[in-house]
Amino acid sequence: MSFSSLVMRNLFRQRMRTSLTVVGIGVGITIVVALGAITGGLRETVGGWLRVGGADFVVARKGSADFSFSTVSDREWRQLDAMDGVERSTGALIRVTRHGANPYFILMGVRPADLAEAPPELVSGRLPRPGSTHEAILGSRAAASNDAAPGSTVTIDEERFRVVGVYRSDDVMTNSGAYAPLRTVREIARTPGVVTGVWVEAETGTDAAALASAIEDRFPTLVTVSGVEDFGKVDQGIAIMDALDLAVTVLAVGVGAIAVMNTMIMAVFERTREFGILRAVGWRGSRIMRLVVTEAVFLCLVAAVFGTVFGVLATRGVMLIEEVQGLLEPRYTVDVFVRAVLIAAGVGLVGALYPAYRAVRLSPMEALRHE
Amino acid sequence: MSSPLVECVSVVKSYENGRIRALGGVDLEVEPGEFVAVVGPSGCGKSTLLHLIAALDRPDSGTIRVAGHDLGREPNLDHYRARHVGLIFQLHNLLPTLNALENVQIPMFELRIGTAERRARAQRILELVELSDRERNRPPQLSGGERQRVAVARALANEPPLLLADEPTGSLDSEAGRNVLDLLGRIREERGTTLVLVTHDSDVAARADRIVRMLDGRVDESPAPLAAVANLRPPTLRPIRA
Repeated sequence: MSFSSLVMRNLFRQRMRTSLTVVGIGVGITIVVALGAITGGLRETVGGWLRVGGADFVVARKGSADFSFSTVSDREWRQLDAMDGVERSTGALIRVTRHGANPYFILMGVRPADLAEAPPELVSGRLPRPGSTHEAILGSRAAASNDAAPGSTVTIDEERFRVVGVYRSDDVMTNSGAYAPLRTVREIARTPGVVTGVWVEAETGTDAAALASAIEDRFPTLVTVSGVEDFGKVDQGIAIMDALDLAVTVLAVGVGAIAVMNTMIMAVFERTREFGILRAVGWRGSRIMRLVVTEAVFLCLVAAVFGTVFGVLATRGVMLIEEVQGLLEPRYTVDVFVRAVLIAAGVGLVGALYPAYRAVRLSPMEALRHE
Repeated sequence: MSSPLVECVSVVKSYENGRIRALGGVDLEVEPGEFVAVVGPSGCGKSTLLHLIAALDRPDSGTIRVAGHDLGREPNLDHYRARHVGLIFQLHNLLPTLNALENVQIPMFELRIGTAERRARAQRILELVELSDRERNRPPQLSGGERQRVAVARALANEPPLLLADEPTGSLDSEAGRNVLDLLGRIREERGTTLVLVTHDSDVAARADRIVRMLDGRVDESPAPLAAVANLRPPTLRPIRA
């Protein structure tokens, strides 16, 4: 008989209690995994967005609560385009609108000439022609949901566009949106003379970070965003999700630890006499502590497995909601699962420490007298 | 002359902040290989003495030396319990979820031996107590006598030089009790194990090399015939069938 089989034997003696504890912790892990996958997907989306067209960074208005509220004037755009080290700058007006079942349809207004310089990956058709006003290209997901193809027409924000191409993108929001000429999108949004942000590509040999810094020095009311970690400068969405993620994780750990502690305290209380027997036959206190902690950690790791599976199923379930499909694509990265396992192990450890301490605190004689 | 395996000098033990004095200065020596029966009426302190020798508790004062270990100064009593004493209780005290073979392996976890060796060793000991055919049975599936024999096997698991038995036949019927005593006698002969046994039963005590009588927390030095322990069995204990 190995130590681990002894652990298993002890866990299986109270099947119902063990199962309920696993369910309780598993629910916490499910939420942690689901939220982690969703947050990861959101980060991936933002990361993809910032790198559109090979840009090194995006310039936006400082202090914007949401990126779509940012405004950079044409004058500022021209000035930064003329700065040393700038290879290319592409201003885009982001219009978030409901389109069909997608409440977060992203219509990106870009000058056709700029789009031609850094085009998205076309899967069919062509780009809008310079000078055109009502030609649009759709992301493949948007095209599929609108049953659209080059040659068909779509109405976005009560404006009819002729679909001239379909592109694909790695980030789901871009893939669920459309590019249209900047002039037309400005008319739709009634925001003449401004873009939401300017995507900047540094010249070869120019340090992009130094260029970003120079832009911020020259334009004190603008900020540069080069990665997801900078996105909080212009949008609180990721920060809110991160805070939510942290809060849920802390809650899951706290509630899980209490559940484990409750289960293990009951188990220790019921088995006090057995611990006395183990001490009487020579078991060290540390071995008994290890027995209790291992039982708790094992319980939590089983919960982690179930929680992870249900977490994946839960996000798959969420993705069946049409409104969500165009917003994000959950990312099941290794760190989401590693985090689930670490949290489960942490819950087991924290929850077992006090019961384990109780198990070894009694003298063998006191434990043997326990009825 | 060899030094005693167990040496108790002026051992005092009280409970409830000194209000109840269980042992009031006990002196006892047990030679290696000796079978000593400790007898006396209920509450005379014989079980307390046994528990102190087993290092399940510490004396208030006095010295207990076992196999060269001064228990009052022994830093690691778990190690002492694991290697130097085997305990047999009145109630078998087996772990109910483990079968006989697994129960016997429990003390071996402290020996740092592999799983296979633990198992083989436990099988050999169960063979010794003639329970090889019951190794897969858990305590509820065993008779009272069989459970106590498993408890004896567990006490022998780490081959201790000293066996301490607290009323080992107290909850058994006469035949099962006799079998357990025969087994202990055989083990002692074959292995030279020292045996200290606490009992109320004069028949059990009669098997010992020496009888130590206790009274009011002290060893009763006054000479007494063996018949003096004849009425020590408490009437409340009812034997269960083997």
